[in-house]
Amino acid sequence: MELPLFRHNRPNRVVTFDEYREEGGFEALKKAFSGMSPNDVQQAVMDSGLRGRGGAGFSTGRKWSFVPRDLPGPRWLICNCDEMEPGTYKDRVLLEHNPYSLIEGMTLACYALGVRHAFIFIRKGYEKAAANLARGIEEAKKAGLLGEHILGSEHSIDLDLHLSAGRYICGEETALINALEGKRPNPRSKPPFPAVKGLWQGPTVVNNVETLANVPAIVANGAPWFKGLALNPEGAGSKLFCVSGSVKNRACVELPIGTTLGDIIDGACGGMRDGRKFKACIPGGASTQFLKPEHWTLPMDYETVAKAGSRLGSGGVIVFDEGHCLVEATLNLITFFARESCGWCTPCREGLPYVKEILTRIENGRGEEDDITILREHVKYLNYTFCALAPGAMAPLDGLLRDFEDEVREHITKKKCPFKG
Amino acid sequence: MIPETLKTSLKARVASALTPREAAVDVMKELQAHYGWLTDEAVEEAAALLGLSPLQVEELATFYEMIYRRPVGKKVIHVCDSISCWCADCDKIIQHLKDKLGVGLGGTTADGMFTLIPCCCMGMCGDSPAMSVGGVPYGKLTPELVDEILEMERNNR
Amino acid sequence: MPKLIIDDIPVEVAPGTSVLEAARSVGITIPHFCYHPALAIAAACRLCAVKLLDGPVKGIQMSCALPAQDGMVVSTTDPEALKMRSLVIEWLMLNHPHDCPVCDEGGECLLQDFTIAGGHSHRRYQGKKRTFQNQYLGEGIQHEMNRCIECYRCARFYQDYAGGTDFGVMGSAGRVYFGRFQEGPLESPFSGNLVDICPTGVFTDKTGRFRARYWDYQFAPSICQHCSVGCNTSPQNFQRETIKIVGRRNDQVNGWFICDRARFDKGYLNDPQRPREPRLDGATCGDDVAVDAAAKSIAEFVRKNGADSLALVGSPRLSLEGMVLLAQLARAAGGARLCYFGDPAQQQGSVAAARLLREENSAYVRDIEQAQWIALHALDLIEEAPMLALSVRKAFLAGAQIFLVDGDPIPARNTPPFKYTAVESLDQVPFEKGGKGVIICGAGKKDPDLLAQIASCGAKLVMLQPGANGFAAGLLAQEHAASPLADLVAARQVRGVVCFEADVPEGLLSGLEVLASADWRRGPVEAKSPIFIPTTTWVESDGTAINYEGRAQRFQRSRLAGLPLKGLDPKYYGNATEAVTLHPPRVHREEVPGGAERDAWQVMAQLIARLGGEPVVEPLEGKWSALRSLDPEGEGIRIFEIVAGE
Ligand SMILES: Cc1cc2nc3c(=O)[nH]c(=O)nc-3n(C[C@H](O)[C@H](O)[C@H](O)COP(=O)(O)O)c2cc1C
Ligand code: SF4
Ligand code: SF4
Ligand code: SF4
Ligand code: FES
Ligand code: FES
Repeated sequence: MELPLFRHNRPNRVVTFDEYREEGGFEALKKAFSGMSPNDVQQAVMDSGLRGRGGAGFSTGRKWSFVPRDLPGPRWLICNCDEMEPGTYKDRVLLEHNPYSLIEGMTLACYALGVRHAFIFIRKGYEKAAANLARGIEEAKKAGLLGEHILGSEHSIDLDLHLSAGRYICGEETALINALEGKRPNPRSKPPFPAVKGLWQGPTVVNNVETLANVPAIVANGAPWFKGLALNPEGAGSKLFCVSGSVKNRACVELPIGTTLGDIIDGACGGMRDGRKFKACIPGGASTQFLKPEHWTLPMDYETVAKAGSRLGSGGVIVFDEGHCLVEATLNLITFFARESCGWCTPCREGLPYVKEILTRIENGRGEEDDITILREHVKYLNYTFCALAPGAMAPLDGLLRDFEDEVREHITKKKCPFKG
Repeated sequence: MIPETLKTSLKARVASALTPREAAVDVMKELQAHYGWLTDEAVEEAAALLGLSPLQVEELATFYEMIYRRPVGKKVIHVCDSISCWCADCDKIIQHLKDKLGVGLGGTTADGMFTLIPCCCMGMCGDSPAMSVGGVPYGKLTPELVDEILEMERNNR
Repeated sequence: MPKLIIDDIPVEVAPGTSVLEAARSVGITIPHFCYHPALAIAAACRLCAVKLLDGPVKGIQMSCALPAQDGMVVSTTDPEALKMRSLVIEWLMLNHPHDCPVCDEGGECLLQDFTIAGGHSHRRYQGKKRTFQNQYLGEGIQHEMNRCIECYRCARFYQDYAGGTDFGVMGSAGRVYFGRFQEGPLESPFSGNLVDICPTGVFTDKTGRFRARYWDYQFAPSICQHCSVGCNTSPQNFQRETIKIVGRRNDQVNGWFICDRARFDKGYLNDPQRPREPRLDGATCGDDVAVDAAAKSIAEFVRKNGADSLALVGSPRLSLEGMVLLAQLARAAGGARLCYFGDPAQQQGSVAAARLLREENSAYVRDIEQAQWIALHALDLIEEAPMLALSVRKAFLAGAQIFLVDGDPIPARNTPPFKYTAVESLDQVPFEKGGKGVIICGAGKKDPDLLAQIASCGAKLVMLQPGANGFAAGLLAQEHAASPLADLVAARQVRGVVCFEADVPEGLLSGLEVLASADWRRGPVEAKSPIFIPTTTWVESDGTAINYEGRAQRFQRSRLAGLPLKGLDPKYYGNATEAVTLHPPRVHREEVPGGAERDAWQVMAQLIARLGGEPVVEPLEGKWSALRSLDPEGEGIRIFEIVAGE
């Protein structure tokens, strides 16, 4: 079966508006506007089993259903294209090849949710994706597929780009809302959830690029079709896996949900690089736990990966080989998170540099037995932070202490990094 | 002082926003592009355009990674030091950049051409190690490629 | 009403109460930094962690951000909660300079208290401490950023609560910095509250640093005397010197905060030039000598010229006690005239306001905060009643419309922390009957007819009085049909005056004989007065003041009268060598140097006795006796019933 997201992709360029339309693009929009009620669209998304592709994997249909129906005043849709989670580059690849699925998907989502004005929040560095979107929006407007009176109907929908200036926390949905409003991008407390009180205090849905880009295919082909794409019964649809690290072909590929880890690495990426041996991988971007060789045949689906003690997350697969020191890898990840903490709450702002200091010492052969205790305390108590950044940061550290404690101890007892000469 | 044309276009940008604050990041970026970095004067100009106090602009400016509140070279080199690039031995590339440019992290070359700053994942992990020079992304870096890029960027002002 | 259990104690609280406040209501203090009752919940410091053992929510939760719900079983002592709290302290201490010995906050520092309470005592972190550079923030406040624990209270107060725009938070991650864009004096007229609201020593009162520790201070509940709002304060005194003044909570008046005038404008209290000694014909004399001479002079004057050519002159600076006794003294002097005001315009307005305001129409602070529209009638609010600007701001943030009616343009330095529309007359204020509206105006110098017209609008009223106790002066002037001094002089009805804390302009004085005066400050009256008796200021006296809304509040003596020990004149030392050491004198003396001042009403009471009047035991007699039991730590009481019940 043809997978929905990359099917319009051309090898080294962005698909054109005409090509996209010739291949069935914007048919879903026409279908929705000519015969489906907003509720029908929402129901189709609900039934499809689509889960958020931004990391948390929350049911998109359910999230949409939290928006109060008859509240007066404007409501908003925001597409989250902040994509700063290390190891994640799928949204960029998608948008550099095809901005139209997202534009069509957002128009459909606006229709379903009764949104008049939607935003795409784009990280710094994604100027090419932004240019594609800006052009795509103009093209869609000209063709009557966006803007005033879409397809001659009474529905009008505006789509605006917001170009950010670089901070990982802006990807957290409530911080993103603050950023969009021009405030300091600290997260907001939940509840109230954005679906009830978000942008300018109005009901707001925040969805990832990939999530929204799936909507046209769901509307066009129906929920059962989408569900059927997955290889395992619990899953639904396809997933973009963006692979980096020690594989032969580092690539962003679209595969059915439920594809095994081994099939991603061996099949889609041509196996390990230079005959190296697979040691571990982080399956879903920097804030997920390690998977190990025993997980080679694990179907990559939200529930299954969660059962194995990690998360499918964003689909950013980072592959480590036997030559990689995972203490140093974890230190690298923690350094990122410490730098990107927004500085709002104590455990994250102070705890992450603390962890970084300890890991640095261990890596440099100055670790102490007590350090492991302190690290474990952080793994536990950094769960009680204001937002999910710090718990996310603790995921790889948790994995390190759970799966590679021996490697950590070896650093301490040998008073040096065993991977360095 | 910014030229009238820039001022007019920024005013239009602010006017088209749903609330002036929403345009703050755009305004700061435009002013940064004009001055090379967000000078104190630029902060005050942004404040006047946005109807905020300079402090309120500073609150935003100092939060974002890509707004520079210190002078920088003509082109800023952001070299990624996050995990995928680490797997691709970005440490070697960073060291090479330091040696080649003769500056430490955060430093600006003597000729004022480049400022070297490490940065978070650029979303180029598939092409790691990665960097951007003056906003242009480069991937699959090797020391040789870095030399070529620097040469090209230096000539291509 | 949610019922829950906290540490085995059943608690019932109003809906919406946080678990932290619910615990506080049964005497359990859960450590907290970012939480402040006046500010929105931040849930940033994560210190207030408790564990929920059972009920609708489980596990570790932040008690400040968790509304109490039925069936919750909360433990504040669960090992996991304790561990979390001790880790939060450990995290905050990673970078804290531990400079308590040289930190002016020491002794009144929440961080000290909760570090002890948090149970973290042993440093495990081996990294370096981060440091910051401080900023010059003006003459009021000292900045020491290294002590910051990033609770965001200051920024939330300054910008969100007080509407300031020149101070806030910059940077991210471990680099967050609380300060200004560039060095310079803080612009908000409420900036001094940073001292009170910061739980650590980042902001300390520069005007009183390094003088004493918290436990050295003498303090007592007091009432600010700078304007008629009557904010509650707590002067902190050390060795007869007022070192600092801090805000004191009264939700009916000022909430938690005070303005910068209340806090910093205190030099006059400690002024070594204050008149401290009784004087007779230019020479220092004993207290009794001065009072005797004054009594004699009054009696003689009355005998010679008749009582009605003598005026006893008070002012809104007097306490209610002084104002009441002034009338008794006039009787004892055989029916002398009474003045509570000098300026007729001021008296007219003040009296009119005191007459027009009633329990039903005199606005409570909450009426202002919950108003739908507010009209400022020809008023510079920041000048005349700064703290009310914060109440108006609350209404503004909740959507109220604010109008400046018939006002002069407000000078930039007094820009209020809310937006307003300038209109020409009250008719342009869209006031609907039944809507919640408040009109705020200054009563002093206003035409009574205009005030009556304002009062007939049906809105709640704020009529600001000239002076801290102007309302009482207006009431008493009305009750005793007192005339403004200027009128009496103009009509040539008085020839002599006895003044009590009254400021009479030199122009008025020139044709008058000043028999005697009593005051705590110098001025033309004191200069001209052959007999002078020093009185105490509000920090050194007990008394009652009635604020603009008719609320009587008790202030208490917070220190002894007398010269501050610091800079004490060498004549009070045992010998010259000792004086040079600047150590407090080692000689024992029976009287406090310069401590002859007494409360003005006590001086009046003595004079009444000398003149053969009824001896005064209690200044608050008759209807005012209801105020005798006024609790200085309470919210005060509105006097309308007392006045009406006459
Ligand atoms: C620290 C942090 C960073 C995040 N960054 C991103 C991001 O870059 N892109 C994204 O789509 N979601 C990100 N998320 C998740 C968002 O908060 C939100 O859950 C998501 O955008 C919802 O979209 P979805 O339901 O379609 O996945 C981040 C979350 C956290 C806690
Ligand atoms: S967990 Fe980190 S990023 Fe999230 S609010 Fe706290 S400090 Fe900010
Ligand atoms: S802020 Fe508190 S804990 Fe810190 S140095 Fe001052 S007194 Fe000590
Ligand atoms: S300066 Fe004080 S009030 Fe402000 S964040 Fe720091 S500790 Fe809190
Ligand atoms: S980790 Fe360097 S680009 Fe993603
Ligand atoms: S007091 Fe509750 S988190 Fe700070």
